[in-house]
Amino acid sequence: MSVVSAIRTRDAAELPGKRDEAWRWTDLRGLIRQVPAPSDELDVSALHAGPFDALADEVLVVANGRGAAHIGVEPGESKVVALRIVSRGDGAHAARISVDVEVAGRLTILESYEGDAGGYLSQTGLMLSLGKDAAVERIVLASDGAEGVTVSQAEVDLAPGARFAQSVLTSGARRQRLETVVRHPGGHADLRLDGVYLLADKRHADLTTAVTHQAVDGTTQQLTKGVVRDQARAVFQGKIVVAEGADRTDARMGHHALILSDRAEVDAKPELEIYADDVSCAHGNTVGALDDDALFYARQRGIPEDEARALLTEAFIGEVVDRIGHEAAREIARAWIGERLRG
Amino acid sequence: MAAVKQTVEHVASLEKYKHGFVTDIEQDFAPKGLNADIVRFISAKKDEPEWMLAWRLDAFERWLAMEEPDWAKVSFPRIDYQDSYYYAAPKKKEGPKSLDEVDPDLLETYKKLGIPLREQEVLAGVEGAPRYAVDAVFDSVSVVTTFKKELAQAGVIFCSMSEAIREHPELVRRYLGSVVPVSDNYFACLNAAVFSDGSFVYVPPGVRCPMELSTYFRINAENSGQFERTLIIADKGAYVSYLEGCTAPMRDENQLHAAVVELVVLDDAEIKYSTVQNWYPGDPETGKGGIYNFVTKRADCRGDRSKVSWTQVETGSSITWKYPSCVLRGNESSGEFYSIAITNGRQQADTGTKMIHLGANTRSRIISKGISAGRSSNTYRGLVSAHPKAKGARNFTQCDSLLIGKHCAAHTVPYIEARNGQSKFEHEATTTRLSEDQLFYAMQRGLSQEEAVQLLVNGFVKDVLQELPMEFAVEAQKLVAISLEGSVG
Repeated sequence: MSVVSAIRTRDAAELPGKRDEAWRWTDLRGLIRQVPAPSDELDVSALHAGPFDALADEVLVVANGRGAAHIGVEPGESKVVALRIVSRGDGAHAARISVDVEVAGRLTILESYEGDAGGYLSQTGLMLSLGKDAAVERIVLASDGAEGVTVSQAEVDLAPGARFAQSVLTSGARRQRLETVVRHPGGHADLRLDGVYLLADKRHADLTTAVTHQAVDGTTQQLTKGVVRDQARAVFQGKIVVAEGADRTDARMGHHALILSDRAEVDAKPELEIYADDVSCAHGNTVGALDDDALFYARQRGIPEDEARALLTEAFIGEVVDRIGHEAAREIARAWIGERLRG
Repeated sequence: MAAVKQTVEHVASLEKYKHGFVTDIEQDFAPKGLNADIVRFISAKKDEPEWMLAWRLDAFERWLAMEEPDWAKVSFPRIDYQDSYYYAAPKKKEGPKSLDEVDPDLLETYKKLGIPLREQEVLAGVEGAPRYAVDAVFDSVSVVTTFKKELAQAGVIFCSMSEAIREHPELVRRYLGSVVPVSDNYFACLNAAVFSDGSFVYVPPGVRCPMELSTYFRINAENSGQFERTLIIADKGAYVSYLEGCTAPMRDENQLHAAVVELVVLDDAEIKYSTVQNWYPGDPETGKGGIYNFVTKRADCRGDRSKVSWTQVETGSSITWKYPSCVLRGNESSGEFYSIAITNGRQQADTGTKMIHLGANTRSRIISKGISAGRSSNTYRGLVSAHPKAKGARNFTQCDSLLIGKHCAAHTVPYIEARNGQSKFEHEATTTRLSEDQLFYAMQRGLSQEEAVQLLVNGFVKDVLQELPMEFAVEAQKLVAISLEGSVG
């Protein structure tokens, strides 16, 4: 039972729903009565440029589930790849992409989800495999349409000494799930999983992560921040598992949300599952409104209320954006956020 | 330091679970198994009115249609509900008028319980004994209720549930099942059908209950699940503090314990509910024989400015599965949850709380300290939610877990659901082991490793211990030490 098999069989009963613990706040079965017919093929040459095209050594386009399926990085090689996941129309489509980065390879994936106004159902599965001492930074900009339903599921396999850093930024969709599952081998491998959501209207976004520390000496840092307004709904589910024997694991998780209207909602489940004793694990979670004192201070200095709110919110989100390693991508991310906060 | 020394001596004096004994009293059993006739038997045995029997039968019907939940992080062999006794009452002699007439075996049991709670003196009728009202539950039936008179003068009703059903049917009908509905969950529903007895407390408007109320629950008959039902109502402006303490004898068959506790708090009233739970945890090597503690505890803060405080020290049971909760319905009502859960050996605990904010400016606070040692597993699972109407809701949650040993597990599973823009929720959780530096420091000063561990653990749980009433706090501190016996080294 999965989104992929639901798309293949067109059986809506295969979709995960609120009775499935992992999907309790992202109910697809209750939303989609009928799985749409397969999407039409797209003319890729007619598409506008993607947000990261100018920064990349190569641009891969997956349009309505069709297109490039593999990114390979040779030992010691270094490259920047833009990966565009494009959805158009009212159909359903699924794609599978594998990424193999060999020993000491370096890769920056600049991934964008680009939807139109259609009521599509899109699933993307990514399999990332990092060799020893490989380093990957994945930056995801999810700009789906208000009627689209998107599920992105990444599975990451790290080798000892590997570094994987991820920043997911999303403005949500009708329903959207951006999921990352990491098998962490310890052995001084280093993981950073960050997220930002900016949701308005009736949009929904679900950032779900699960990290399993399998052996000694692993580190994980997670920071997710988000803002919801109108009737939007954000979901954060973060799970860190430390297996028996995975001593000297250091894992931190933070999720902080601002609710800017009375009808918006934030649901969070930061989870720790620990089977080893020599570990240091912590999570923090806060949900609240903008600080009235700070707002008052800004207004006293002549900044109009809307502008003051945008400024404070930008500063709040800024902490996550600052952690993006790729400089040019970081600025694109910052501009993308600014547009959404002021737009 | 004196307390630590006392604790250490206490531990030294202990080799095995000291409450593991079985008092042989003639039992009045219902036949094994569960069906509508057993429900009728229990009801008839207790001379219940027709409406009560109807309520039970309705619950039983619903229970048949329900499925046993399996989402908790605990594992145990499937319970055969037909292989249990659902009613066992100590045989009554002709109306015992005073304690002297109470079955001496029963008094002996209290003696053996050994916990130097002064309730024993009260039970023994010692002059000048402190004023704790004791409603002792001995295998499902309240045997003796003391201080009833003094409580009656204050207008407080404190009696067994069966008595309340007879004497105060209007209160029972009004409030029973109003906090935990009959079909709330599988175990609560089972309880509604077969509950044996329990405590009933009603504190009238404006009355501050003149003494701490306390109850001993003790599972005694082999193979008899105990299903207490407790209902406490604090009317407008009332206050009551209720203590619940538990020990149970040792045996080999797993025992199911599915109690329901309902608290109703009206305007400006407050209930403080404290629990020390020390049921038999099962064999430390195999986990065999321990108690299953699947309890539903919930408080309904119906009135404005009402307050509930749950404090629990969970050291026993082979499996603990419970979430004392607060429904914060009244405006400006508040809920607190202070918990120490200790697991050792093969124990499993999945416990926490739910704070459901419905009213405006409601506040809640959660402090949970979990300690796992041996091969045990300890899970904090909690929910904090704010309804769109709960403007100004405020929650602070802190969950700390301490791991002692290589083979234990500690989990934290909080759920946070915020549905309005004017509430503020903060949650933090940490998982660590005992600091080696601190242990070293303590041992350098002449403490043995075990003593050093106890000292550090006592510090770790201090925030919760200080929420307990005095006499409970001392006992709880000892329990903490006993529970961790043999976990180091």
